[in-house]
Amino acid sequence: MRWFQVKRLLMGAEAIAEAAVDAGLEAYFGYPITPSSEIMENLAILHARHRSDKFKVYFQSASEVESINLLMGAGAAGHISMTATSGPGLSLMAEGISYAYTSEIPLVIIDVNRGGPGLGNVAPEQSDYLFVTKSLGHGGSKGIVLAPSSIQEAMGQVRMAFELSFKFRMPVIILTEAIIIHMLESVEQDHQFPVNVETSWSARGRKNGARHLINSIYLEPSEFREIKIKLEEKWKAVEPLSECFMCDDAETLFVAYGISARIAMEAATDLRGRGIKAGVFRPITLNPFPGKMLVDAARNSRRIVVIEMNEGQMVHDVQYWVRRDVEQIPFMGGIYPDTEEVLEKCK
Amino acid sequence: MQIKQLSAVFPNAVNSYCPGCEHGLLLKFIAMALEELGITEKAVMVGSVGCSTLAFKFLNIDYVQAPHGRAPAIMTGIKEVEPEAIVFAVQGDGDALSIGLQELIYAANRGIPVTVFMYNNMVFGMTGGQMAPTTPEGMVTMTTPFGRNTEKSGPPIYSCELLSGLSRPSYIRRVVIAPKPVQLKDRVLYSSKEANESYKAVVSALKTQMMGGFSYVEFLGTCNVNWKMSILDSKKYAHNVSAKVYPPGLFRDRFGVDSVES
Repeated sequence: MRWFQVKRLLMGAEAIAEAAVDAGLEAYFGYPITPSSEIMENLAILHARHRSDKFKVYFQSASEVESINLLMGAGAAGHISMTATSGPGLSLMAEGISYAYTSEIPLVIIDVNRGGPGLGNVAPEQSDYLFVTKSLGHGGSKGIVLAPSSIQEAMGQVRMAFELSFKFRMPVIILTEAIIIHMLESVEQDHQFPVNVETSWSARGRKNGARHLINSIYLEPSEFREIKIKLEEKWKAVEPLSECFMCDDAETLFVAYGISARIAMEAATDLRGRGIKAGVFRPITLNPFPGKMLVDAARNSRRIVVIEMNEGQMVHDVQYWVRRDVEQIPFMGGIYPDTEEVLEKCK
Repeated sequence: MQIKQLSAVFPNAVNSYCPGCEHGLLLKFIAMALEELGITEKAVMVGSVGCSTLAFKFLNIDYVQAPHGRAPAIMTGIKEVEPEAIVFAVQGDGDALSIGLQELIYAANRGIPVTVFMYNNMVFGMTGGQMAPTTPEGMVTMTTPFGRNTEKSGPPIYSCELLSGLSRPSYIRRVVIAPKPVQLKDRVLYSSKEANESYKAVVSALKTQMMGGFSYVEFLGTCNVNWKMSILDSKKYAHNVSAKVYPPGLFRDRFGVDSVES
């Protein structure tokens, strides 16, 4: 339901913070880390100015380990809660994400990628792809991963993340880069009503009814097998999302996500001008990976070129699905793809 | 005598703790205190990792499982969004003072109105009796076969004294929960004083939370299985060694809940 629309020039962090509060964020817990801190700083202002009646809790934690557990507490009590962090912080949160997955606790984490591994640097990379899609915590835990390629899309994905986290009762990660967070873009703000979430399962005291158990320990193997089957069936119901940009007749198909996809689209448009049929396949959900959509998009292509800002991480997923030779143009160390460089390597 | 069924305990719950362990006793006191204070319906227990984690099988109240050591952070998260809920955790000494010390100190330092019941048996119980941060000097454990060497591992952590250094906690107390054996000719009887004291401490801690303060109670209990002692010897050890290393006492009572007769 739309009230009115305004067009504004906003920085990514500011837009995401406003979108989160407008979508019904109830609790923000965070620990500062570059390049994600601006999201937290903007939320501090929005909280102090009482932008929303629902946004009651703003809390600076003592570490990312504490952050994820604060999120789990608020999530277990059935409140929409979020944090923003970067790779080193997400590493510390992996423990909690694993517990949250089995305990079926909804929570949202914005991971602003930085150059890694180690302390790396704070320049834009897409270095956490494998971490967030393949190994988000011990024991095979996972979460839905969304990757926006514009500020406008990031705003919509915050709302989508709140809805998905409660619908499937699992962690949702928005994987983005320092470019999206720090650049300015013209965006439209859809002033919709805050999301409605179902919370009858949550632990707030049994209140004269049956008690609520938010638990991840199942010592009896036969019982745990049933739980894992249930979790897996739930996971299979998560729908993958993707975008095709001039894919239909593309002979050269770029596969890229996030900000890399924006650059790939520019390169594809340029190539079309030179008579080369190029297109871009952009996964919107990185987990679940839109593999069948990719196979469909790549059916006419002779070259598949993966562009990502790391040493080559998503390329494994692409290879797995298309089952033929895949080229890759990796950009590492915090250097983002340059259209000219992409064109040069595509000759 | 009519035995009253506590509403916070499952009617068919069977105690699965080792014989001689006081964990079950502590959970019973908590159930009794919730009933006495009329807060069972809004209670949320946060389970830690260790023997205390099994509480959800006996206590019929809302329950959230925390990762190892993180119970104070989970409690903070719940309390922030649900200020009306009564939130408490039962943590062991390994959970609270080794892996979870930072979370505990921060919850205490912020004065979050939650309650930590810390069961101190001076070893890691569930993992099979390894050295804990509270293991006293010279005590033999699975990882200190020649006794704890404090030159190397530092002296034990005194949690009540440590938390007393912070200004915001409202109630800090250490009690012995292991009943004291009394030799009467050829018979051994157990004192009920410790149980009464422990129950009062549970009630006071929850009352403090209801009044808006952070409360922490350390219970000196036994782990006869991992101490490799008979039940009788373990009770003696709790009084002759544990209570000497960790002197019981009331470290702080900001609201004066202990002086009010319940």
